[in-house]
Amino acid sequence: MPGAHPIYHTLVRLYPKAFRDAYGDDLVQHFDGLVADRGSRAAWCRAALDLAVTVPRYRLETIMNERHSATTISVAVGLLAAAGVASTLVDIGLYPGGLLLVVALALGIAQRSAIARALRAPDPHRRRRRLQTAAVLGVVFVASFVAYLMLIGDTWSTRDTVLAIIGNAAMIGAVGFLAAGLLTPKTSQRHQHNRAM
Amino acid sequence: MQTAGVTDPASYLPLPQTQFHVLVSLTAGERHGYAIMQDVEASSNGLVRMGPATLYGTLKRLVDEGLAEEFAHRRGPDDDQRRRYYRLTGLGQRVCAAEATRLAGLVRITRANLRPGTV
Repeated sequence: MPGAHPIYHTLVRLYPKAFRDAYGDDLVQHFDGLVADRGSRAAWCRAALDLAVTVPRYRLETIMNERHSATTISVAVGLLAAAGVASTLVDIGLYPGGLLLVVALALGIAQRSAIARALRAPDPHRRRRRLQTAAVLGVVFVASFVAYLMLIGDTWSTRDTVLAIIGNAAMIGAVGFLAAGLLTPKTSQRHQHNRAM
Repeated sequence: MQTAGVTDPASYLPLPQTQFHVLVSLTAGERHGYAIMQDVEASSNGLVRMGPATLYGTLKRLVDEGLAEEFAHRRGPDDDQRRRYYRLTGLGQRVCAAEATRLAGLVRITRANLRPGTV
């Protein structure tokens, strides 16, 4: 890249690899054009603002893709399992630890099953559906917690156990779906159609 | 196979400002990136100043969505051989026209509501 400004050339490396590979030379050439036309100071003013806005944005867009969304679920399984083992070992209780392990196992099985394929299938509404599911589970968690507070007695009853199971499962599910939903790209319907063509 | 949703320009509206500016620039003909930036600045009286990554990110999105395309430009002796040229697709033309119509409607309403003496 003859004439390329070395500092800008280096800063272009901050962009995601795919974008850099596709447009890196264009960016540097464009910057050189700005320097030649408007001077170094004006070019840097524009490029600095551009870098500050677009580097995090394009990085975030790269993170919010299918692969990372699937990775999130894998990490969630690992964390839940670790929390389950840890809570059992540190005497928080066998029951919540066991519950966490069961949820982690169920999530792990689901990830390798039809549910996982559905999660990865092209579907323009999947982000919204995941967030809606998280919201519903959040409401279930709050409702079970409120019910537990209202109905709490002196001794632990079967009813309390049922509420605890529902509340814990709903809370874990809400967090998992919220994370998966937030990491799902906001893909428009038209974009999906165009990619499918 | 194209579906109605793919070719319906209305499904792309409203366009983000930068995308519309780039499409408007391409309505005048094929352009390379730097010329598009100059066009956008001129057409917006200097209000819209796109940095390099903003411009190429926008072009990437337009190409991904089928509104613009890169093509092999017949280069003259003075052309920079490294430059890539872009042009509107048929869908891009229809979407650009639809967005222009939408904005024209807004302008009409605004002017009617803000008649002299009403503000």
